[in-house]
Amino acid sequence: MSIHAINEQLLRAIGVGVAIVRASDLKFVFHNGPFSEWFGTPEKKQTLLDLIPDLDLRELDDVKQSGLRYSVELQIKPKRRTLVFAVTVSLTNELSDQLLIVECQNITRIRELESMIDSYSTMVERNTRELEREKERVERLLLNVMPRAVYEEFKTFGVVTPQLYKEVSVVMLDFVGFTDFAAKTDPTVTLSELNDIFTAFDRIVEQFGCERIKTIGDAYLAVSGMPDATPDHATSVAHCAVRFLRYLERRNESHPHKWQARIGLGMGAAVGSVVGIQKYVYDVFGPAVNTAARLQVFANPMHIVAPEEMKYALIDEFQVSDIGRVAIKGMGDMDLINVTSGLSVTQGSGRI
Amino acid sequence: MAQTLYEKYGGFKTISRVVMSFYEMALESDQIGDYFEDIDMPRLIDHQTKFVSSLIGGPASFSDDRIKAVHSHLNITHADFDEMAALFGEALEMHGVSAQDIQTALGAIENKRSIIVVRHAA
Repeated sequence: MSIHAINEQLLRAIGVGVAIVRASDLKFVFHNGPFSEWFGTPEKKQTLLDLIPDLDLRELDDVKQSGLRYSVELQIKPKRRTLVFAVTVSLTNELSDQLLIVECQNITRIRELESMIDSYSTMVERNTRELEREKERVERLLLNVMPRAVYEEFKTFGVVTPQLYKEVSVVMLDFVGFTDFAAKTDPTVTLSELNDIFTAFDRIVEQFGCERIKTIGDAYLAVSGMPDATPDHATSVAHCAVRFLRYLERRNESHPHKWQARIGLGMGAAVGSVVGIQKYVYDVFGPAVNTAARLQVFANPMHIVAPEEMKYALIDEFQVSDIGRVAIKGMGDMDLINVTSGLSVTQGSGRI
Repeated sequence: MAQTLYEKYGGFKTISRVVMSFYEMALESDQIGDYFEDIDMPRLIDHQTKFVSSLIGGPASFSDDRIKAVHSHLNITHADFDEMAALFGEALEMHGVSAQDIQTALGAIENKRSIIVVRHAA
């Protein structure tokens, strides 16, 4: 077999559509199988433009003169499916006649896949955005039940290690006669009252850099000094405590129900951790918490009671008076103090 | 949560093949091919991709109202619907989806029959 024959065989065998036309009149000299399959079999009189009308005649002239290639992407629709071709026309001068070589690559599948990937990635991106929003919602929810530092640990390690904080202060508040109120009032009213008050408390707590740990029914528990240590934890909780009471006093002036609360403060060590696996609750335990809880029970309505150890921390900013030694259930004899706001002595001394 | 067919058969890898096969088959079909004739290729592919993804539990879902709205003016008959379901089943089979899972997917399509086929069509 001659080289010529081999070449021709090759041209017929490849999957690329190949046609050779005379440059002068664009009539066909040669075409292979794929070409005629896509564009039809050229008859004697037909030119390249009869079979592929989308080719630009001026561009073809340009190829003849400059010898530069002309590449174009064409679509044909033999049946219902749109076929896409990359067509390249180039000039050859090696033979006696000037000839144009037309190569047609079927890039239909590539274009189809591109369209599909576009469509698919749009869907995936939209899903991703939705997931992102969902994640933010979950994060906000979790931040409601645990401090941010604890949440970060939980997110990174999947668990929260109980951590001992040596120096924290605790404020615990409980309403007087809440059970009676709840019994004779519509539960939705009770809830909205509590919600209203606790929301205000949350703002106060935030203002003084404390953390609200939880509410148990009508009891409200906040801490200072954990999870981030702070030197003025004692004054922070006391500031919260006096503002809780002042908020209630102000609120009572304009609301039908007059809320009375007792507040106990505590200072000392506490452990903070997430409790539970399915139902996460961030909670604190320890002497500081116990003290605050006990002293709150002991306190008179609208008064703040703290252990004597807190006296020197509070004395500069608050009005502190000694209560003396009192037997506290579960804690033995304790020296206690009464804490009032420095401000309320001058402004509201008539009320005390 | 139950594993979707989408996860079971390797996600996008399989989806893309099913979409391509289904696209070709739908266009070749003399029963339903005409519906797709005048739609340009990228739009049609987009449609098929979403269709296949949503049916086997991938990242797409359409409300019934939307499905109804886009099909209502096409006067799709039960025969068209059957052909489409059959081709989809074939495309799934070509790419190794088990007979049982094909039944599940076809069941999902069947649920939409009443909103795709026009009521008066035979």
